Amino acid sequence: MNQTLRQKIFIFFLVTPALIILLGVVVYPFVYNVIISLSNMNLRHIKDWEIVGFRNYVKVFTEPSQPDFYVIFIKTVIWTIVNLFFHVVIGVFLALVLNQKEIRGKGIFRTILVLPWAVPQLIVALTWRGMFNYEYGSINQILGKVGLPAVEWLRSPTEAFVAAIITNVWLGFPFMMVIALGALQSIPHDLYEAADIDGASWYHKLRTITLPLIKPVMVPAITLGTIWTFNNLNIIWLVSNAGEPSDSTHILVSFVYKAAFNFYRYGYGAALSMIIFFILLIFSVVFMRKTKVTEAVY
Amino acid sequence: MNTRLKKYWYDTRQVKTFRNHHLHAAWFQILFSLLVLSLLIVSGCSRKNDGRIRITIWHQDRPDVRDVLQKQLDRFMVLHPEVKVEQLFKETEELRSGFIIAAIAGQGPEIVYGPSDQVGPFQVMNIILPLDSLFDKKFTDQLDPKALTYYKGHLYKISDKLGNHLTLVYNKKFIKNPPKTDKELIDVATSLTKDTNGDGKIDQYGIAWNYTEPFFFIPFMTGFGGWIMDENYQPTLNTVGTVNGLKFVRDLRDKYKVIPNEADYNIADALFKDGHAAMIINGDWSWAGYQKAGLDIGVAPLPLITSTGLWCGTMVSPKGFSINSNITEEKKKWVIKLIEYLMSEENQLEATKTLYTMPTNKNVINSKFVQSNEILRNSQIQIEHGNPMPVVPELRAIWDAMRPSYQAVLAGSKSPEQAVTDMQMQAVQRIKEMNE
Repeated sequence: MNQTLRQKIFIFFLVTPALIILLGVVVYPFVYNVIISLSNMNLRHIKDWEIVGFRNYVKVFTEPSQPDFYVIFIKTVIWTIVNLFFHVVIGVFLALVLNQKEIRGKGIFRTILVLPWAVPQLIVALTWRGMFNYEYGSINQILGKVGLPAVEWLRSPTEAFVAAIITNVWLGFPFMMVIALGALQSIPHDLYEAADIDGASWYHKLRTITLPLIKPVMVPAITLGTIWTFNNLNIIWLVSNAGEPSDSTHILVSFVYKAAFNFYRYGYGAALSMIIFFILLIFSVVFMRKTKVTEAVY
Repeated sequence: MNTRLKKYWYDTRQVKTFRNHHLHAAWFQILFSLLVLSLLIVSGCSRKNDGRIRITIWHQDRPDVRDVLQKQLDRFMVLHPEVKVEQLFKETEELRSGFIIAAIAGQGPEIVYGPSDQVGPFQVMNIILPLDSLFDKKFTDQLDPKALTYYKGHLYKISDKLGNHLTLVYNKKFIKNPPKTDKELIDVATSLTKDTNGDGKIDQYGIAWNYTEPFFFIPFMTGFGGWIMDENYQPTLNTVGTVNGLKFVRDLRDKYKVIPNEADYNIADALFKDGHAAMIINGDWSWAGYQKAGLDIGVAPLPLITSTGLWCGTMVSPKGFSINSNITEEKKKWVIKLIEYLMSEENQLEATKTLYTMPTNKNVINSKFVQSNEILRNSQIQIEHGNPMPVVPELRAIWDAMRPSYQAVLAGSKSPEQAVTDMQMQAVQRIKEMNE
C-alpha cells in the first residue's frame, strides 16, 4: 500500500462517522422533504401517494387561502425585521454597557440579563400570554398605574402580533448580547488608546473601531438570528394560541405547521417549507456577500 | 553524526510523532464510534430481549388519570409477569401527529387511547385495526352501546369512559340552586358579578369559560337549534341557530357583562379556582381537580334555552382504546387481554370513584355509587342532552373554519350573520382541500 492510498484511507476513516450522521439527519430528511413536496401525500393518500410535479408549489402561490399566503409572507418579514432590530440594538447596547470597566458586579448583571434565554420557550410564551390578559395581566395593570388605557392585547389582530413580538424580543436579545460582548472583549485595547491620543470622541470610537471590529462576529449571529426568528414557531403559536384571533397572527412556519399537521396536507406543507428554505438561503447568501463578512478585518 | 544528518533524524522523528499522534486520534475516533454503536445495539437488544412482551399505550390523560391507569397496569403485570406494559403521555396534538408518523413508518405504540374523533383520520389512513372480530360479543354486550365507536361499518374503538363533555360547574359557596334556564343563568350570573372592593373594577364574575374556543360554543349553538354537520358530513354552520348562539355569547359579555372581557382555558380555570368566578363551563376532566383544590363544587346540566325549548347540548365523546394496525400476532392476544382487563367492572369502578368520570360498563353505570352520586347523576343527564362527537376527519376542518369567524364576532369585527356565512364557506373549502 503506497503512502497516498494510506493517507486517503486515513482521511476516509476520519470523515466517515460525521458523514454518516450528516447523511442520516440532514441529507436524507431534506431529500425526502423535496420528494414529498412533489407528491400528493395527504389524508387520503398517506400510503399510496404519487409524484404530481410542481402542483403544490403552484398552489402555495395561487390558491386562495385563509389567511392569504402573501399577507403571511409580509407579516413574516415584518416579524423577522422588527425582532432582529430590537435583538441587535438591545443586545449590542447592553454589551457596550457591560463592557465598561467602571461597572461592578458584571457577572451578576450578565447572569440576570442572560436569564430570558435560559428559560424554556414554552414557559416564557405562556407566562407572557398571561401577562397580556386584558383584565388580569400585569402589562395592562402597569399601563393603568401610569395613567394609560388598557390594551386588548390578545383580542385584536395587530395588538396580538405586537404581543408576540414583545415576547420574542425579550427572549432573543440575550443571545445577541452574549455574542456582542465576546466580540467587544476581543478588540485590542491599544486601538482605543491610540484613538484617545488622537482626541477621538466616544461616538467616533464606536463608529470607527467598535462597530467595524464586532461586525465579523455580529453578521453571522444576525444571519443565524434571522433564520431562527423567521422559523420561530413556538412563540407565535403559544402567545397567540395557534394564530388567534381569527388566524391573523400566523407567520409562514406556523402556517406550514397548520397545513401539515392540522389538515394532513403533507405535500402542500412540504412545498411551503421548501419555499421557506429557499427564501432563507437567498437571504443568507445575499446578506453575507453584501456585508463582506468573510473578508479579513485586521 | 553531522548537523545535516541530525536535522534529518530530528525531522523524521517529528513527522513520525505527528503521524503517530494523528493515527492514534483516528483509531481512537473509530474505536469510540464502534463503542457507541455497540452500546446502542446492546441497549436496544436488552430492551427487547428481557424475555417479556412489551406493550406501549399512548394517551393524553392528566396526571390523576395516569396514576389510576398505572395502578391497574401494575396489577395486570403481577397477573401476567411475562408482559411489560408502559404508558406514555402525549399532548393531544402530539399524540395524533406522532401516532400517524410512527404508524405510517410501521412503528408506534400497540395501543392508542383517546377521544373518538381520532377514529376518522386513523381509519382513513389505515393505521388502526377493526376490532369487530377481536372482541367477543359477550364482552361488548357488557358495555353501553355508546362505548363502541363504529366508522364505515366497523368497530374501531372500545371505550372505558363516556363523556369528555362540558357541564355547568358551580361553587356551592356562592350558589345553592344552579340555574336551569338561560334566563336564570343570566339572573344568577348578574347577581354574582361584583365589584367587591369598590375600585370600579369587577372582582368576581358570575360565570367564566374558555369562550374563544369553538368546542365550548357548541352547547349554545345546539341550544338555539344549530348543529355542525349533516348526515353526509357536510357543514351546516350558516343557520339561525348558530347566529343566535353567537349573539347569546356576545351578549353575556357585552350586554350583561357577566363573563370576563378575555378568558382562555387557563384564565377561566384560575378565576374559578380562586373564587373569582362563581360558575364555569368545563368538562368532566376538571371536576376532580376542583375538588382537590378544596372547592365545594356542584355539577349541573347546562341550561335550557327558553326561546327554543332546547337544552344546551355538548358534544359527547367516549374515550377508549384503538389498536395499531402494525401489531404482531403475538402481541395482539396480549393487547386484547389487557384491554379486557382495563375495561373490567372492578377497574372501571375504581376509575369512576377516583376521577368522577362516567363508566361504560353497564353494571358500573347502574351501581349504587354512580346512581347515588350527585355529580355523576347530573353528568349522565348532560350526556343525554348531548350529541355524539362526529368521528369523521371533516370535523377538524369544521373546527378550523369556525374559529376565525367566531373570534371575529367576539372581537366586534364581524356580525354574527356574516360570521356564519364565512364559517360555512371556509368549512366547505377546507373539506375540499383535505379530501383532494
